[in-house]
Amino acid sequence: MTSRTKSLIGFGVVAVVLNLVPTVVESLDAPSFYVTFMFTAFFWISQSVSWNILTGYTGYFSFGQGAWFGIGVYTTGILAAKHGWPFLLALPVAGVLAGLGGLLLGMIVFRLRKQSGEIFALTTLAVAFVLASVARLYSFIDGGRGIFMTGTPLPAFLGDFRTAMFRMTFVVAFLTLLTAFLLYESRIGWGMFAIRDDEPVAHGLGVPVFRYKMLALGTNAFFGGLMGGVWSLQIGFVTVEDVFNIRVPLFVILMSVLGGLRHWMGPAFGAVIIYALTDRLNSAGLEDLNQVIIGGLLIILVLAVREGIYLRLRARWKPALAVFVLAIGVWTVFDLGSSLIWDFFYASLLTVAVALVPLKRQPDTAASPASEAMAASDRSPP
Amino acid sequence: MNDVLNQAIVSGILIGGLYAVMSVGISLTWGVLKIINLAHFSFILLGAYVTYQLSTTLGWDPLIALVIVIPGGFLAGVIMQVFFELAKVDEFQSLIISFGIFIIFQSVTRTIWTADFRRIDGDTNPYESMSFFVGDIAVQVATLIAFGVAVAIAIGMTVLLTRTYFGKAVRAIVEDPEIARAYGIDVRRVAVLLSGLATAFSAVAGVFIATFQSLSPNMSFGWFGIVFPVVILGGLGSTVGALGAGVIVGVAAGVATTEWGPLSASLVTFLILIAALLFRPQGLFTRQSST
Amino acid sequence: MSSLTGTGIAKHFGGIKALDGVDIVITEGEILGLVGPNGSGKSTLINVLSGYYRADAGRTVFDGDDLLRLGPHEIAAAGLARTFQIPRPFRTMTARENVALSYMFGQRRHSLAQARQAADQWLEFTDLANVGELPIDQLTLHQLKFLELARALATEPKLLLLDEVLAGLNPTEVEESIGMIQRIHAQGVTLVIVEHLVRVVTALSTSLIVLNQGRVIAHGDPEVVMQEPEVVRAYLGSRWEHA
Repeated sequence: MTSRTKSLIGFGVVAVVLNLVPTVVESLDAPSFYVTFMFTAFFWISQSVSWNILTGYTGYFSFGQGAWFGIGVYTTGILAAKHGWPFLLALPVAGVLAGLGGLLLGMIVFRLRKQSGEIFALTTLAVAFVLASVARLYSFIDGGRGIFMTGTPLPAFLGDFRTAMFRMTFVVAFLTLLTAFLLYESRIGWGMFAIRDDEPVAHGLGVPVFRYKMLALGTNAFFGGLMGGVWSLQIGFVTVEDVFNIRVPLFVILMSVLGGLRHWMGPAFGAVIIYALTDRLNSAGLEDLNQVIIGGLLIILVLAVREGIYLRLRARWKPALAVFVLAIGVWTVFDLGSSLIWDFFYASLLTVAVALVPLKRQPDTAASPASEAMAASDRSPP
Repeated sequence: MNDVLNQAIVSGILIGGLYAVMSVGISLTWGVLKIINLAHFSFILLGAYVTYQLSTTLGWDPLIALVIVIPGGFLAGVIMQVFFELAKVDEFQSLIISFGIFIIFQSVTRTIWTADFRRIDGDTNPYESMSFFVGDIAVQVATLIAFGVAVAIAIGMTVLLTRTYFGKAVRAIVEDPEIARAYGIDVRRVAVLLSGLATAFSAVAGVFIATFQSLSPNMSFGWFGIVFPVVILGGLGSTVGALGAGVIVGVAAGVATTEWGPLSASLVTFLILIAALLFRPQGLFTRQSST
Repeated sequence: MSSLTGTGIAKHFGGIKALDGVDIVITEGEILGLVGPNGSGKSTLINVLSGYYRADAGRTVFDGDDLLRLGPHEIAAAGLARTFQIPRPFRTMTARENVALSYMFGQRRHSLAQARQAADQWLEFTDLANVGELPIDQLTLHQLKFLELARALATEPKLLLLDEVLAGLNPTEVEESIGMIQRIHAQGVTLVIVEHLVRVVTALSTSLIVLNQGRVIAHGDPEVVMQEPEVVRAYLGSRWEHA
């Protein structure tokens, strides 16, 4: 059995198990915020993993995640809340419209005579601002009035609101991860990695670079928009300020950089850790500190752990797993945390600390290529 | 003649001067030092808030705040560049790291001055309401001064870059830092000085913003959409280019505002950015060979 | 039988004419040496033929396709590959993955699984089998140059352009590389070699083109071409400048 088949079976098992979570939580009479915690984590997993398909795989750094997310939010908002479309019918439209938005951007920036990663990054930064002003300008989108999503009917088979959110976010996150994995293990994915490493050389060896960059950007935007479409429900009252702000791109970048851009799993890993971190900080009443910590982490991570912690932890998976299990055990037995989420949080922090401990000799993990992945600069073909 | 349109053009030219001052620092560090420093947006914002604070608590004329803001900005630029040199960051990492710095300052600003709008009181700020007429066209003194400063910076930097040893060193670094180093130029020192100068310009822009706009921490996000079109249209590292591009963007946004309403301005500037990238990626005001 | 025919190829950078109407014929199965003083346009010609630069004028027919109208990946699919003077491996991949990548894309498409298998044959051919799993930064310059060759060969080219394969190598490594070039040629690949070491090129190639200031000043049998007065003049001039 190849490793790919094994992984696909793993995907199937995870899908079945996670799908049961809301039912189990309900039957155990456990607090329902566990479900909320998990579906918010799914949201961030999907956003950062899809972002990584563009930025981690092809090396084109994007600030544009907020734009794709926003297109998705407003699409389901307009179609389902304003025009009464069935929500599940509006959802795929959200993904497709965001994907088309990505392709449109790609048609422009990937055709430029002078291409560079920096120009691309700054253009994506501008896209969200433009979309924000378009949304404010036209009343058929928003016109400055916002859209109420509360009371949008959902099909009965999805369960109550929380369970429905869990199921929908889970399906989207699952599809995003599966796509990221299948690309990672395919010819197309490797073509993208070659673009990241040296685009002109990849082109000369036969990689259709334009097509692949479009594919990466389109996939990124599609999943960003699809999850955005689901998320409009959680937002409740959709406004331009809440949707097209710097929050989504900022978190997505941080999560992916923390987890590592070189592996399809990295950003998912980073998403869970950062989300758990901010969730706990917020519940401890430290919202103001949040951004300072996040900004600081971003700086430190870019300089210190260039390959991301996922690859590091994988290389040290035995001590890492031991620490995690031990910590969960100690915390639960001695009842140190006030809830299971706190236990999980402390255990994760300790595990991450394992990844951050610098080791003198680590030939397989401290490989310098990671710095090149981060620094996919020099991409101006003559 | 259409008076409203003429007014929009004149105001656009003048506000274009402010856009140039806001952009010139980022343009210089990007073009010369290959550092994309988003933290400049923080220093524009800080410059504005410090001016507001000095005016409000000490009753200073806003322009006197320059005495504090210029050295403060210079020092911040020096510190940042020293950090970038020590950490040996490349262009790409500088983008992410300075994004982190930007986020931290954003939060700090919000903590100190809250998210409420702040405006310098009319009593201590004579510039806001001061204006005169040329024919039927009103000229706001605050933006006129900013435009004058933009012209002064453009001229001053041109003289500095063409007539002095420092300027020669900067141009040598643009061509090739390694060769510049081989010829005995202290690249690190030149870079630190230039970064200080660039950040001081950004902070100065903040002072002028404080003279005629209400301040809020989130306003810095809106600047991204103005500054990057100006930087790219003007050509990386070009101070004269920044002035020309600032005026183009200012006029285009001003005309768009009068014709289609204020929200269309950022659409128009974005279209200008795209057009600039498509047809003139090296900038309107630079020769093909440079950078 | 000609493999590639180029006529009137021109390329300028700003005011400098790097290629000023170059006519070139590459015959199938030959080793064509491309020589000339520094700045004569050798590298520019390689870059134009392989699609890295877009020519300002001219036409290049290769197996019926006009190369100058194609993008680099289409040129690779048409069966033309090149190496770089300064090796440019994919740095996040191992040597084997580098080779596998070009086999996947190259002239015919192959799946990732096929390519991982097939990479071995080129690693062995270029004596890199024992470093196949190493990260790129652990390879020597000599190995990186061979990796350039392995990667180019894995695209299964009909025509291979070698840009200064020998530059920067010590005499032993030069000997090994010459042997390698001859083995590649023996497999039926048409070769264009650009080299500074004129003696080596003259010995290796079956015909020779001399470029000077963006123009072809001689084309023919290596021994004969090197005696032509204009070639001698171009070379003496350049030697005198660089003395």
